[in-house]
Amino acid sequence: MSRASIPVDDLNRNVPPYHHNPSAWSQRIPICLLAFVAAIISVHLSLYQWGFIESAYDPVFGESSNKVLKSDTAKSMYGILGIHDAALGVLAYLGDAILGFAGSTRRWQYRPWLVILFGIDVIPLGIVSVVLVLFQAFVVGSWCFLCLITAVISLILVYWAWDEVRSSLAYLFIVWKENHKWHLLWDAFWGNRNEQLDAAGEILLSRKVS
Amino acid sequence: MWGRVVEIMTAVWLAGSPFIFGVQSDATILWADLGLALLIWTLSGLSYWHPTRHAHLLILVVSVGMIVWGRFYVTPPPPAHENHIVVGLFLLMIALIPNEASQPPRVWRQQTST
Repeated sequence: MSRASIPVDDLNRNVPPYHHNPSAWSQRIPICLLAFVAAIISVHLSLYQWGFIESAYDPVFGESSNKVLKSDTAKSMYGILGIHDAALGVLAYLGDAILGFAGSTRRWQYRPWLVILFGIDVIPLGIVSVVLVLFQAFVVGSWCFLCLITAVISLILVYWAWDEVRSSLAYLFIVWKENHKWHLLWDAFWGNRNEQLDAAGEILLSRKVS
Repeated sequence: MWGRVVEIMTAVWLAGSPFIFGVQSDATILWADLGLALLIWTLSGLSYWHPTRHAHLLILVVSVGMIVWGRFYVTPPPPAHENHIVVGLFLLMIALIPNEASQPPRVWRQQTST
C-alpha cells in the first residue's frame, strides 16, 4: 500500500501535553544538525589525540585543552576503550544524528524502539559530558574549551529530545495501563499494530491540554 | 534505504583501510578487511530484495565481531585495529536503521488495524 493512503494529519498530530508533534521534522532536524556540529568538533579533538595535529583549538584556555586531552584520565580511558574518548564522542554524536533522522513523523507511536534507543544515546551522553566536565575541574585541574562546548550541546540535545522520548514512554504506559498484557507492550515497543494499540494511541492524542 | 547506502559506503572505507593504514603487507588484516567488506556489501544488497529485507540486521553480528577483534587481538590496539572498533561501532548504529526509515512501518500504512 502506498504512503498516499495515510492522511497527512494523522502523521503530524500534536501529542498532548505538548502543543506540537515531538516527532515532526521541525523538531528533529535541529537535533540532527546540532549533533553533527558536535561530531565535527569531536573529530577535531580526536585528531589531536591521535597525533595528526599539534594542538587543539582553544581561544580561551590556551594550552589547557592539550593537557586535558592528553591527561592521565584520557589515557586510562583509552586503555579501557581501545579508542580515544574523543573518537567515541564522534560516534555518539553521529549516533544522535542518525537515530534522530530515522523514522516517520509519528515514530513516537510507530517505532517506539527507535525513539527509546535515541533517548538511550542522547540522555546518557549528556550525563557523560557533565561527568567529563567534573573530571576537568576536580581531577585534571585544567579546562578544555571545545570539550565544554560539546558538553553544553549534549545538554541542549537532552532538553530537545526529551519530549519525544516522553511521548513514546507515555504511549507504552497507556498500552500497559489499559491492557496489563506483556505481549501487547512488546508489540507496541516494536511498532506492531492491532486495535488495542490503535486505541492506546488515540487515548494519548485525545488528552486535554491545559 | 539510506541506511543501506551508508553501510555500502562504510564497507568501501573498510576495503581500503589496509592501504590507508599501511598494513597491506599483513595478509590477515588485508583479507579479513576485504572479506568483511564483501560480507557487508552482500548483506546490504540483499536488504533491497523483499524476501531478504532483514539481511542488514546480520551486520550487527559482523559489527560485534569487528569490535571484539579490534579491541582484543592486540593490546593496546594499533591504528588498523582502532579502525575496526570505530567502524564496528558505527555499523552497529547504521545496521539498526529500517529499510524505509522515513516512512511508517508497512502495517501502519493501512487505514485500519487488522
